[in-house]
Amino acid sequence: MKNRISQSNRITSFLGMLIAFVLFCFPAGIQAQSQTSPTDGMKENTPRVHAFTNATIVTSPGNTINNGVLVIRNGVIEAVGRNTRVPADARVWDMEGKVIYPGFIDAYSSVGMQNPQTEIETGNNSWNPQLRAHLRAETEFEVEDDGSSELRAAGFTTAVSVPPLGVFRGKSAVVNLGDGSVTDRLVKAGAAQAVGLRRSNELGFSYPTSAIGAIAMIRQTLYDGIWHRDAHAAFDRNPAGLQRPEHNAVLASLSGVVSGRQPLLFEANSEEEVLRAIRIKEEFGFNTWVRGSGYEYRVADYLRNKNFGLVIPINFPDKPDVKTPEDALNQSMANLRHWYLAPENPARLDAKGITFSISADGLDNKSHFLRNLRYAVHVGLNPNTALAALTVNPAALLGIDATHGSIARGKAANFVIFNGDLFEQNSRVVDVWVDGDRYVVNRQRHSDPAGTWALASQNGLFDGTLEIKEQRGRFSGKLEIGEEEIDLKSTSYTDESRRFRADFMLEADDFSGLVRLTGSLSADRLTGWAELTGYGRIEWSANRTGYTEEEEQRERSLPERTLELADIRPAMEYGRESIPEQPRHILVQNATIWTMGSDGVLENADLLIREGKVAEVGTNLSVPRNAVVIDASGKHVTPGLVDAHLHSGVDGVNEVGNAITAEVRMADVLNVNNIWMYRQLAGGLTTAHVMHGSANPIGGQNVIIKMRWGALSHDLILENSPRTVKFALGENPKRVGTGRYPDTRMGVEQIIADRFRMAKDYERRWQEWERNRTGIPPRRDIRLDALVDILNGNIDVHSHSYRQDEILMLMKLAEEIGFEVKAFHHAVEAFKVAPELAERGIGAIVWSDWGGFKIEAYDNTNYNARLLKEAGVVTSLHSDNSQIASRMNWEAAKMVRVGMDPEDALSLVTSRTAELLGIDDRVGSLEPGKDADFVIWSGDPLSTFTVAEQTWIDGRRYFLIEEDKVLREKVEAERAKLIRFIMEEHND
Amino acid sequence: MKNLSLFILTVLIFTCFSAQAFSQIPAPKQSTPIALTGATIHTMAGATHYNGTILFEDGIITAIGTDVTLPDGTEIKDVSGKYIYPGFIDAWSQIGIFEISAVNMTLDLNETGPINPNVMVERAFNPGSRHIGVARSAGITTVVTTPGSGFGAGLIPGQSAAMMLEGWAWDEMTLKSGVGLMVNWPNPGNQRNYNNQLEQLRQAFDDARAYKRARTAMEEGNAPHHDFDSRWNAMIPVFEKEMPIVVSANDVRQIQDAVTFAQEQDVRVIILGGRDAHLVADFLRDENVPVLISTVQSSPGRWWEPYNAWYELPAKLHEAGVRFAIAGSSSAANANRLPFEAGTAAAFGLPVDVAVKSLTVYPAQILGLDDRIGTLEAGKDASFLITDGNPIEYKTRVEQVYIQGRKSDMNDMHRQFYNMYYEKVQQRRAE
Repeated sequence: MKNRISQSNRITSFLGMLIAFVLFCFPAGIQAQSQTSPTDGMKENTPRVHAFTNATIVTSPGNTINNGVLVIRNGVIEAVGRNTRVPADARVWDMEGKVIYPGFIDAYSSVGMQNPQTEIETGNNSWNPQLRAHLRAETEFEVEDDGSSELRAAGFTTAVSVPPLGVFRGKSAVVNLGDGSVTDRLVKAGAAQAVGLRRSNELGFSYPTSAIGAIAMIRQTLYDGIWHRDAHAAFDRNPAGLQRPEHNAVLASLSGVVSGRQPLLFEANSEEEVLRAIRIKEEFGFNTWVRGSGYEYRVADYLRNKNFGLVIPINFPDKPDVKTPEDALNQSMANLRHWYLAPENPARLDAKGITFSISADGLDNKSHFLRNLRYAVHVGLNPNTALAALTVNPAALLGIDATHGSIARGKAANFVIFNGDLFEQNSRVVDVWVDGDRYVVNRQRHSDPAGTWALASQNGLFDGTLEIKEQRGRFSGKLEIGEEEIDLKSTSYTDESRRFRADFMLEADDFSGLVRLTGSLSADRLTGWAELTGYGRIEWSANRTGYTEEEEQRERSLPERTLELADIRPAMEYGRESIPEQPRHILVQNATIWTMGSDGVLENADLLIREGKVAEVGTNLSVPRNAVVIDASGKHVTPGLVDAHLHSGVDGVNEVGNAITAEVRMADVLNVNNIWMYRQLAGGLTTAHVMHGSANPIGGQNVIIKMRWGALSHDLILENSPRTVKFALGENPKRVGTGRYPDTRMGVEQIIADRFRMAKDYERRWQEWERNRTGIPPRRDIRLDALVDILNGNIDVHSHSYRQDEILMLMKLAEEIGFEVKAFHHAVEAFKVAPELAERGIGAIVWSDWGGFKIEAYDNTNYNARLLKEAGVVTSLHSDNSQIASRMNWEAAKMVRVGMDPEDALSLVTSRTAELLGIDDRVGSLEPGKDADFVIWSGDPLSTFTVAEQTWIDGRRYFLIEEDKVLREKVEAERAKLIRFIMEEHND
Repeated sequence: MKNLSLFILTVLIFTCFSAQAFSQIPAPKQSTPIALTGATIHTMAGATHYNGTILFEDGIITAIGTDVTLPDGTEIKDVSGKYIYPGFIDAWSQIGIFEISAVNMTLDLNETGPINPNVMVERAFNPGSRHIGVARSAGITTVVTTPGSGFGAGLIPGQSAAMMLEGWAWDEMTLKSGVGLMVNWPNPGNQRNYNNQLEQLRQAFDDARAYKRARTAMEEGNAPHHDFDSRWNAMIPVFEKEMPIVVSANDVRQIQDAVTFAQEQDVRVIILGGRDAHLVADFLRDENVPVLISTVQSSPGRWWEPYNAWYELPAKLHEAGVRFAIAGSSSAANANRLPFEAGTAAAFGLPVDVAVKSLTVYPAQILGLDDRIGTLEAGKDASFLITDGNPIEYKTRVEQVYIQGRKSDMNDMHRQFYNMYYEKVQQRRAE
């Protein structure tokens, strides 16, 4: 008997059977009551003292008590131990075969947030619907269908309820997952201020419409929070004569954040967003938590010492669709390998020494949580780490470890009972106890009809042996009467009512026909009656003669992890295992070198690189010891190409939510998962000006990057490069449309002028404050800060433009207001105002041969750059297109066709471009002291028939045409391997 | 100024152009025999004549070679040191029906509804398009203007026509109408949608064939009268294999399915696009299905594909023995980039002479224009270009274009703008 029970996964002991009906009392009884609510009807005083005996108790990760006793009283753990005495008043629960774990804590959930309010129409709110920092999860919490039961079923007893909408979303709260009132369930209010790195669509389409805008809004709001605090402090000290500062509920609610007491909790949906959160943390120094996305393994090396709270989901991606070969063709290696590696995310983070909590967030179906957790363990996660990530880690992060996270005397009686080891495939949650109350997850069977029975019927009509079988919850049976075997039909058994039912056809002397059995099971006896259809009714009974051994449930076999995938960055096609090395000396010999400096083009010349910089260009240079020598006979060498206008490698380009958005920064949203970068390297591009879009008269701040394929996003940025801002004139900023000023070119001018006047007044206010430091400090406005920086020459203006009138307008306006325009971009009609540009020293950055696609681009000419150059305008080409950026030498070559000198033509994508971007001290020519960014071409770089063979940046070789061929094969092989693995994997 | 001489030279060249400053006036028809002598003539018909002569009369080449007898009254022009090539053919173009993409009223691309086999592009061809001169001065003498692409494109958007880029209006500019019946193959991304559209396409062809049978029976007196159906009547040449269907297909499924469809319908098929054609190259060769490649100077959509996957596509098809031509993939405003598409293919493995053929003789053969253009041979149109080098090389300048013997004005809108505003620079300097 004992043996049988221990093998069973579903049958409890007789003790369990005795107390079975207690179960149904709990959930209804505690609904919506709290400690301060009056009693209605009879006072409930069911004892809340329980002792769990014969249990395996995992008190905390790595600490297990075998055959122990756990005692809880009034929702709190009273004692736990091997020899703990069972109190005389305790209800005793035999935990034979069960394992008790501390209740899991989900550090990021939407529990209670199922219907967030989208329109807040009362109160002293912020101007922007995305700013909701004053919301508090516990007051917004909706109990009905709050998601607690789904989380409990996965073993959770506590969760952080995180307000889901907006940029500043509100304060999260830690709640226990019982069915009681929020008042009783609340463990900790204000655990963290939740922050989104993107706008929530649910709150409408307005500023910020983009990731850049959202990040700028985070910055501005944090500054506003500081200002709100300081302004009120100043006013409170001495209000006389001061204008009362606004009372803003959102900003006031950030006091905990700006004083460093309350963490910021970012929702990050990619590894880039994790980096963005970390960068904000480093900018402001505030305590930061991040809910990751499962991609963190890609940046684990970087995250290891970043000192922030990390919560990761385990919602692994769906299997990529490779059903047909065509489907497989369209699967990227990035997608395939992420599918394979995502389950390793926790293990890989652990291997880097990063502490994290695991969340069920992101799982549409929470019942997959344990399956995925076990899969993470299957692929390498240490089980103790996994358990810690669900218990002690989140408890410590949330600051609730005095009461939560482990099974110890004095802590909340939150625990989960499994019918075996949590990490075994088939083990299931039996019960979850929250604050000392029981919640049944998988109801245990208390009776079992399966077995053999000696059946006796009235008159011995069908005496014989009854055999009842069960397979996966379905019953079947047969009746042996003498030699005859009769199959039972419609066999069923209901545990709750202990009722057995079956029909069979009887062919006997006294009766032939359908017999319909019904019976009640009690202990080892079935008693019942039977309908002899069309004949009458008789009684029957049966005594158990044996149990049927239940079949062992087959362990679901998990696929072997047979693939070795290298760590590459970016984690996609052609990604690198590391940044290329930088040899101390490189000597490129016997090449035609286009220095793009005063030396012009040198035939049969050498280029010496030392420690990433150009050391010397000349002929017959001596070879330094241990130099890497490259024979470039017959080849041409040029500086790395520079693109003055590109939009690839960023998450979003335009912030359209305001006509003036100088506060947004493209540097915030660089994304290295950008195949174009590799392709651009393959075409000799080494530097690019990654720009904001053209939706705004004054748009965002651009960023100058190098094509350091394999680096992290913030390491792409060209160190100490000038700050630049995008302006836009003409059709684009006016057609953003519906009601946003401006709608005409006239308005474009006026709003630019108006904002600069504002900026001047703003600067004056600050100067005054700096002199006197009395009264209320001015509010820091990062949009106006940027305009002040433009006025002071600290940010260069690069303006999108088409028509001559608007180009003239901005030149004049800049003179009137007092700022400088560095260059006009696109400038399809720049040739019409070439003298005016030349006179002012303003550059033109144009296409080689693009135009005619809209009315303002109709007067295009492929001679634009040539005429500008001839008129004395500093001129460059640009791509404004990811593909074109991968062949800028050919863009330059087109200018030879329209009559430009070849060296002048190449300068349009090298030296002149660098000059207009203000980076000519670093790149654009091969002269001593410049960065060792160069390209080795198969021949004349301006020929149709030439290809780039090697591309070097900082004296590191980022592209080599032979290596590309090897990489292609590796990519093909890895895709093939992954696709085969997917096809062979038979599980789910 | 080290480039002073070049500068002066080019200024002189353009000063000549600026003599006729305003619009481009179509050239008169050839009135006297003309012989160009001393050039290297790449006929694309096998022979290259060094120091050769090309003689043409009434727009037709009458003799070509190194030993050409010139009739009396021949106007002789010495073009020593220059190169002569057949005019380029843009095998897929929107010139004449597309002016400014963001200005809808300047576009005549897509007629209402999915099935429009009867619309004929030459009837809407705008000879005043600015893009004509720009394309022509890049060496493009013939464009196969094709309806139906982009948003709103139907399954059968109409018939393409080969248009010469010289003349006063479409009547004299049409080299051949009904060059192909355009078919936009559905997108297989959505299986249900794909199947529905294929059924719709099949239905159209079946209905058109039934119409042809009925009308034939009627005409032969074996059946009562059948009313005219403009749509199905326009498809009769397709079933008679006079007109091929030109199927826009890039994905490998589209390509295979389109060929299967054409075989089932027993019609001639040409693939347009052909991004994945290299995956089924042997099949295309064996079935003799030509491809108009329109995706050379571009990058693959799949991340894993090599950065130069499309640059290499022409070379791959060439090596596999698939018939192909390189067509423009740019909008009409950028049709002048066509030679560079071929140049890119040459940089990535396509032999240079084959690259030039892919803009001349190959598209002529594939589209049934080779009786008139594509090569320089006696009896063919005198449509050619004079250059200072290989015309698919960037630095090469196309100095003159002749189309059916008419000497085209090379002073296109781009040059006119240059000249006009160079004048402004000069005036300002003088002030």
